[in-house]
Amino acid sequence: MMSTVSQTGIRTGQLAAIAWLRWKLFVNSLRTSRGVLELISRVFISLAFAIGGLGGGMGMAIMASIFISEGKPGMLAVVLWPVFLFWQLFPVMATAFTNNPDSSDLLRFPLSYRSYFLVRMAYGTFDPVTVLVGLWSLGILAGVGFAKPALLPWTLLVLLVFAAFNLLFMQMTFAWVERWLAQRRTREIMGVLFVLLMLSFQLIGPLVRHFGKRARPDVQRFVEVLGPVQGILPPGLAADAIAQMVLSRFTVALSSLALLCAFVLVIGYFLHVRLLAQYRGENLSEVAAVSALPEERFLRLGWKLPGFSAPVAAVFEKEIRYLLRSGPMLLTLIMPIFVLVIFRLGPMSPARHSGGLFGRTSDMAFPSAVAYTLLVLTNLAYNNFGGDAAGIQFFYASPVRFREIVLAKNLTHASILAIEAVLAWMAVSLLYRPPALDVTIAALAGLLFAVPVNFSAGNVLSIYSPKKLDYSSFGRQRASQVTVLISFGVQIVVVGIGALAFWIAGRYGNFWIATFILLLLAGISFSIYGMILNRIDNLALARRETLMAELCRA
Amino acid sequence: MESAPTISTRGLTRRFGELIAVDNIDLRVAPGQFFGFLGPNGAGKSTTIKMLTGLLAPSSGQIEILGLDLEKHPVEVKRQIGVVPEGMALFGRLTGSEFLTFAGRMYGLDRETAAKRTAELLDFMQLADQQKKLVTDYSHGMQKKLAMAAAVIHGPKVLFLDEPFEGVDAIAAGTLKAMLQGMIARGATIFLTSHVLEIVERLCSHVAIIHQGKLVAQGSLEELRAGVEAGTPGSGDSGSEGSRPSDEKMTLEQIFLRTVGGSRRAEHELSWLA
Repeated sequence: MMSTVSQTGIRTGQLAAIAWLRWKLFVNSLRTSRGVLELISRVFISLAFAIGGLGGGMGMAIMASIFISEGKPGMLAVVLWPVFLFWQLFPVMATAFTNNPDSSDLLRFPLSYRSYFLVRMAYGTFDPVTVLVGLWSLGILAGVGFAKPALLPWTLLVLLVFAAFNLLFMQMTFAWVERWLAQRRTREIMGVLFVLLMLSFQLIGPLVRHFGKRARPDVQRFVEVLGPVQGILPPGLAADAIAQMVLSRFTVALSSLALLCAFVLVIGYFLHVRLLAQYRGENLSEVAAVSALPEERFLRLGWKLPGFSAPVAAVFEKEIRYLLRSGPMLLTLIMPIFVLVIFRLGPMSPARHSGGLFGRTSDMAFPSAVAYTLLVLTNLAYNNFGGDAAGIQFFYASPVRFREIVLAKNLTHASILAIEAVLAWMAVSLLYRPPALDVTIAALAGLLFAVPVNFSAGNVLSIYSPKKLDYSSFGRQRASQVTVLISFGVQIVVVGIGALAFWIAGRYGNFWIATFILLLLAGISFSIYGMILNRIDNLALARRETLMAELCRA
Repeated sequence: MESAPTISTRGLTRRFGELIAVDNIDLRVAPGQFFGFLGPNGAGKSTTIKMLTGLLAPSSGQIEILGLDLEKHPVEVKRQIGVVPEGMALFGRLTGSEFLTFAGRMYGLDRETAAKRTAELLDFMQLADQQKKLVTDYSHGMQKKLAMAAAVIHGPKVLFLDEPFEGVDAIAAGTLKAMLQGMIARGATIFLTSHVLEIVERLCSHVAIIHQGKLVAQGSLEELRAGVEAGTPGSGDSGSEGSRPSDEKMTLEQIFLRTVGGSRRAEHELSWLA
């Protein structure tokens, strides 16, 4: 006879089982030496987060306390907006640090929708970013409480609602973006919207300058313009709810909180719509929908890459096709140009700086954009086989040396880098002025040095620390922590050396000096790259079990 | 004089820590044989096939394929063999047509030949209508057929198949069997693992049985049958499914069960099941 358990009991049991599963997955991952290395890396990264969280929290506490003590509670928006922006943007900018595994696998079990919703929320909650901004929020609470203890309960309530909004908003954004990127048509619409958004940023500069002519173009004026707009958005509403309570305007404070709650409900509803569709087992595969139609038969030839063998050309073609079919990857690769636009309107705006480092913004913009492009590309170059999944077995079974496979992958990444460098050059020319010839050459020499270094490190780490990647999903993946840590170290060294070369050149007022230094270093880095490439077959053979175990797992 | 074997192993062993997954096995597969490699779950079949195809390093022992030492000449061996491993080794985000062209070029075919064979294979496997579909969107059976097509695109002399009929419908299985029999007729050697003993019995001329990492039987079906009847290979209790009228030929299933000692649990167990 089947024993009877209440619905609540079943749900509790399921949630406990999922928590146990996550814990066992973590514990079991430590069984290998690589798992232990991952743990050590996580400890280091957690330390960085803890320092950021505690330091930020203290800063927030001091600022909040000052705002309340000095009778400027409305200024709390200044601390709540960074909380909101960091919470929402950090997971998008650095998916490597987030941990949001695919919970749809759980749908095979008799999980109620409420449990599924809770699990999805829990995945988002137990995230390093949440912990970090949680510490910041605690700082704000402590600051307000220190300045006016009676306000503590109300502030706690407001901040809890604000946190709920942020959690729901982050989950909703991921859920919907993922849905839109899942199908070709919506992906194309997203692409167009993204480009339009980038272009619209161009308007911000002229707008600010337009308003700036009437009064002093300072922060105060800018805040005055944006003040009313931000006031009706969640961070502004949260700040207003606390500020109005300080001023004993209880009704206004309550209405601000009510509006914030309304935001929570609306966002929660949109998240619910998405998760419910997932829960009901939606299938976003557009190909399946048209599969019944007979397709035109044709004979297609593989690509030809002059100067390279057939396997290199075949792997190169395969890599390019993979990237072109991956919306999330394309979005990542376009980020450097996007950031260039943002910087043009922000800290590197020539209108704001007439001297110092930013005085020569156009000189620095191109090398910076190129360096950032390389940084973004490390996501791929440091995990060369991540997207191949079970296909790695094909590489091992085929009569092709890993040297050629890795060379083809590096060639793909180098081609992307070259295209992005050209785009960055054009963007800098449009946004600032064409970079000087000596700066352009020096930046390219820098690339010649940095690329082989990164590819060498990336090739080794791709074999020693692989991580399966799904090119079709967005924001659910993270690189191996070992890779993140080592990549970080390599970037510090490479960017440091590059910056030093530019600094020396700047000191003598001659960028050709930087070119000379960087070309010398490029010679060394190319030798290292060649050496590692020649040994990659032995490395791949020695690590074949680990590679296949990691990449072929379901 | 006996011809040199296409596949031969000497003392092939693979350990995973304390566990000996494959224990000192000596295999011998002659040219043109359709060779079935059987064993219960966890017996070491996939581990063996992985070692034979270079996907896994042996802990000790030697492997020769077509007279070449696999460890010393991995590329030369791989050029002449085709593999459908356990995970099928597909690239999910290529279309079926792109994947086959890619496979052809990786095996050294020129662009035109790769394209031509791709079209022929897609036609033969009845995948031509789906050639623009991403592999990840293929059904399991379609993926199996595609993996098989990729394994034979270069015309290998030896084909290794790990559970090729698992999850494949009767129509697709028929297509695959026809292709494999055609290859055998043209002199290729096929090494296959499968749990579907009826298929193995129908297709394979020779069989080996691995149990708990050890090779417990090897030979033609007739040799195995004779061995079981004489009480040589295996010593387990055959159970009820092993019994047969004395004038009937022993099936491969019966040979297998007697060799590995399989028996059915009593019916009263798991009585809570509906």
